[in-house]
Amino acid sequence: MTDPLLQQTFTGVFRLVAPEIALVGTACVVFLFGCLTNRRWLWFVVSLLGVILAAVLAGTVKTEMPPLLTASAIIPDGAATFVRWVALITVAVLLFVSWAEVDRSNASEYYGCLLVAAAGVSLVGRANDLITLFLALELLSIPTYILLYLPARTRLHQEAAAKYFLLSVLSSAVMLFGFSYLYGLTGSTNLTVITDALTKAHAESLNPMALVGAVLVLAAIGFRITAVPFHFYAPDVYEGGPAGVVAQLAFFPKLAGFVALARILGLLGGDVRSIPFDANTQLPLLIWILAALTMCIGNVLALLQDNVRRMLAYSSVAHGGYMLMGIVIASSLPDATGQPGIGGMDALLVYLVAYGMMTIGAFAVILFLSTPERPVDSLDDLAGAGQSHPISAGAMTVFLFSLIGLPLTAGFAGKLLLFVGAFSAPTNTNAMRNLYQVMAVIAAINAAVGAYYYLRVVGVMYFRTPLRPATRSRAVPTFLAAVALAGATLFFGIYPAPIVNAARKAAPVPAPVQKTTADRNTK
Amino acid sequence: MSIYAVIRVLVLLLVLLPLLSAVVVPVFGRCARRVSLILALVHLGITAAVVVVAVVAIGERNAGKVANPTAPTELQFRPEFVPGDSAAHIGSDATDARTTWTLFSLSNKQTRPGTPGPNVQFYIGIDGLNVWLVALASLMLIPVILVSWESVKEKPGAFFGWLFLLQAGIIGAFLSFDVILFYIFFELTLIPAFFLIGKWGMGSGRRDAARKFFLYTLAGSLLTLVGVIGVVLTNPNADGTITFSIPQLMVNVQEGLQNAHQKALAGDGADLAAKHATQFWLFLALMAGFMVKVPIWPFHTWLPSAYGEAPTGVTVMLSALMAKLGAFGILRLVLPLVPDASILYGLPVIGGFAAFGIIYAALCAYASKDIKLVIAYSSVSHLGFLVLALFAFNKEGLSGAVLHMVNHGLSTGAMFASLAFLVDRYRTTEISKFGGLMGRFPGFALLFFVLCLASVGLPGLNNFVSEMLMMAGLFDARNAGASRLWPAVVAAVGIFLSAWYTFTLLQRVFFNASKEPEPVLPQAPVPGVNRREFCAIGSLATVCLLLGLFPQILLDTMKPDVRTLSIIGDSARARVGGVPYVYVDDEPKPTALPAPIPINKGGDEKGKDKGKAPPKKGGNKKEQKAEDE
Repeated sequence: MTDPLLQQTFTGVFRLVAPEIALVGTACVVFLFGCLTNRRWLWFVVSLLGVILAAVLAGTVKTEMPPLLTASAIIPDGAATFVRWVALITVAVLLFVSWAEVDRSNASEYYGCLLVAAAGVSLVGRANDLITLFLALELLSIPTYILLYLPARTRLHQEAAAKYFLLSVLSSAVMLFGFSYLYGLTGSTNLTVITDALTKAHAESLNPMALVGAVLVLAAIGFRITAVPFHFYAPDVYEGGPAGVVAQLAFFPKLAGFVALARILGLLGGDVRSIPFDANTQLPLLIWILAALTMCIGNVLALLQDNVRRMLAYSSVAHGGYMLMGIVIASSLPDATGQPGIGGMDALLVYLVAYGMMTIGAFAVILFLSTPERPVDSLDDLAGAGQSHPISAGAMTVFLFSLIGLPLTAGFAGKLLLFVGAFSAPTNTNAMRNLYQVMAVIAAINAAVGAYYYLRVVGVMYFRTPLRPATRSRAVPTFLAAVALAGATLFFGIYPAPIVNAARKAAPVPAPVQKTTADRNTK
Repeated sequence: MSIYAVIRVLVLLLVLLPLLSAVVVPVFGRCARRVSLILALVHLGITAAVVVVAVVAIGERNAGKVANPTAPTELQFRPEFVPGDSAAHIGSDATDARTTWTLFSLSNKQTRPGTPGPNVQFYIGIDGLNVWLVALASLMLIPVILVSWESVKEKPGAFFGWLFLLQAGIIGAFLSFDVILFYIFFELTLIPAFFLIGKWGMGSGRRDAARKFFLYTLAGSLLTLVGVIGVVLTNPNADGTITFSIPQLMVNVQEGLQNAHQKALAGDGADLAAKHATQFWLFLALMAGFMVKVPIWPFHTWLPSAYGEAPTGVTVMLSALMAKLGAFGILRLVLPLVPDASILYGLPVIGGFAAFGIIYAALCAYASKDIKLVIAYSSVSHLGFLVLALFAFNKEGLSGAVLHMVNHGLSTGAMFASLAFLVDRYRTTEISKFGGLMGRFPGFALLFFVLCLASVGLPGLNNFVSEMLMMAGLFDARNAGASRLWPAVVAAVGIFLSAWYTFTLLQRVFFNASKEPEPVLPQAPVPGVNRREFCAIGSLATVCLLLGLFPQILLDTMKPDVRTLSIIGDSARARVGGVPYVYVDDEPKPTALPAPIPINKGGDEKGKDKGKAPPKKGGNKKEQKAEDE
């Protein structure tokens, strides 16, 4: 402990997580004083102030990369910054969205848990150590259990909460098991060390134990990103959980899961041209299969749903499949010959943001249109919404069109980048050949299949007459959030440059190393 | 502020005004109809200004002599009046009128705006191929509004708003010179069409029709998107960066193919074979969307239900304009970007479908029990002919096809529009319920006859000219697989069949024993053609006649672009055949040098040709010096 650089690395950590500390601190205040007085508007304002404080800290506290990456558990690189801002903006939006379902009995717990979850997501983005990463993921999961349990009054609610809890714990255990392999192979919990060591080791020959570890981690994270076959909980939880929580649940775990997966596979932060599991290790092939299965099964099962929430659950599964494409594309970079326009991770980040906007927006509209007596569950509950709630229905239409991937919505920008990425991946390698392009075609067909069930909702809202009297909801913040999200979806669809540039800054596409083909063939 | 700059703003307005109208019109509620009519007229005025200037400008520019017409840099579309353009001027040698308006960039470096790079840009402009289609799209909205005047009772504001959005999408797609932008506008048309059919449709099956239309088209066009991306990525610039600009892509495609061709002629055919293999897949992917949109048999099944269920005004939009988007996509993307595959598989495969579709749809039209469906199927049949002519890929075929897009839009659109007359009065268009309308509504009968005669191609009316040209294009013995001239024969039979079913329809509805169904207002006497309807249909019939008499002005404008495409086609034919490509200049040689006319053209002449006459504007055929030695 005498190395000054090491000292500097350890002591500098707190500067790097100041906004997260602010979030958790605010949450503690909210939890503590919540038992004294549980007023919705009070804790809403306090939480919002906490988020603003975190944002101010995130914007003002100067950070620099720690001198010793191999000893640092937290790194403030571009991707970390991107994830932090997404988390902060999302939690602010979620505070507004959840207004409709928070009441006097649970306000402080609800808002506190949201803040902690956001801190967890933000920490996942900057974790450079297996332990930190695991803790950050748990920091996201544990508040989610509470959030699911808070209003659990019916059997459906309880089933959702229990199911999510049990499977989440299982996945955490699997993840730890996988981590133990990675640690055992490399002797370190630091991600920089692990990826470097594995990359060097794989240059000679692939260690099967490393592959086992990676597959276990993939399985555990597959639960969070609802990849088939780890998606089984999603429809039940989405159906039973409170809509505001489900909005969070549909986005935060996916964001965290993808970022964590990319970190462990060395696709974020480090040099993407040398990664531990490149296309020759068959791991990208496995992810390819997962991606294809996830989008196909997600879309086909969504076709069969009559319940809007279940449909959105399967749709979120399908979108997880599209996003997995990004990981596959990113792992092709070591083989790239020319300068690829898209690196995969940047497309993934853009898609994640677009997905967050449209999915949270869709649940916000559902939440706004629901009343405790008449929740919006089946498709029929939305019938005639175009007449009774024109603005909400309009926003919902924007989200649905964005989920389809129609132009001028953010969903299109994301899909376009993923497709371009898949097509710019090399076709001359032995391991994958033209599978990347095949993947793009599969995704295109899936997008067309997906259009069917999204369009059904639009048709029900606009072409049918209402089956029930119009309800008047007074949850203005939820409504505002939905409208703002619809506006953002359109804005970033028409002018995606801000997100695209931010994502490219977070995950830059490096110029490829000039490998000779002979070199690759002997490998 | 030169006139060029003014027109650039107007070109931008061509897209923005309908978008703006789409937002503004719903606000007006009850008087939305008047407002939208005024806005549509304003748009027509802008279009007229743009067209007049563009026709002159394109004519002047093209009078210049091209030194080497087969060089890859010459084989590109040359949009004029590009908004956001900083450098290009009429007649200058700038190869690219690049716009500086970047939507988003895939570049790692921050580049100065205006420098080439992997940017998706808002790149629109006017060239010889789209100028008349834009005019058509602007013109057609007025009869659409007029025929929807009475029939749309529920929320007219929203109805007209969606109509304007549909128009914006269509015009945007016509104007686009960026592949992604084209795709964006192409897809944008789906949303308004979906709502227009589903919400204001006439029959009980309107929701299913709307959904079927949307999903069918979307499924196809997603594959087109994949194809578009494939084209972009397989044809990078010389320095390896990708481009989304269609003119630049054309240059890159030609450069790659010409190099490969040289190699193949020297004995190394692997490169060319690889390019052909890639083009095959790209061709399939690109065509997937356009085949559905046109539609070509067997992908036409959405059309009868969509046309049948849609309100009459929307059917006019769909048939006159939307269907042209598919054919235009073939013209703008497929032919120039995958030329060899278009020669190899265009006529034999797609042409086979199209030819079958011509006959099949003609028979369906004959058997249909509803006037609307007769016209819908006749539209499928005619469009099959159009696609055949496009894939003939020669001058006559291409110019005929472009002209036919306009003509078919006019005549079919007008026929659907005239059906609004019956729908407004009887709320049905079933053939068996009508008879002897000739005596009942002589005015209506006259208009309908003119349109029917135009549709079957009576000389003197518009469709005759384009059908003749297309037929001439199909009699091109150079096309692979066309040795027996079967496409031309099928097309000729199709024309005959179209006369057959059209006249049968006329006989059943307008002659025979007089009968009519229960009118909408049973007490009042059923009125004849009123002024509004006469304006809507009569103006279109007049335009049909005018275009039949004076088609040359349209053909002159599109001539240079058609020549570019035909050179691309001829060289592709040579590559496929494995022979060197020899450019044959078939421009008519001037019999005598026209006397120089001493008009000061304001200094925009390049002045490098000594005895060359400055180009005369006007509709006459321009004679050019063919050879320079």
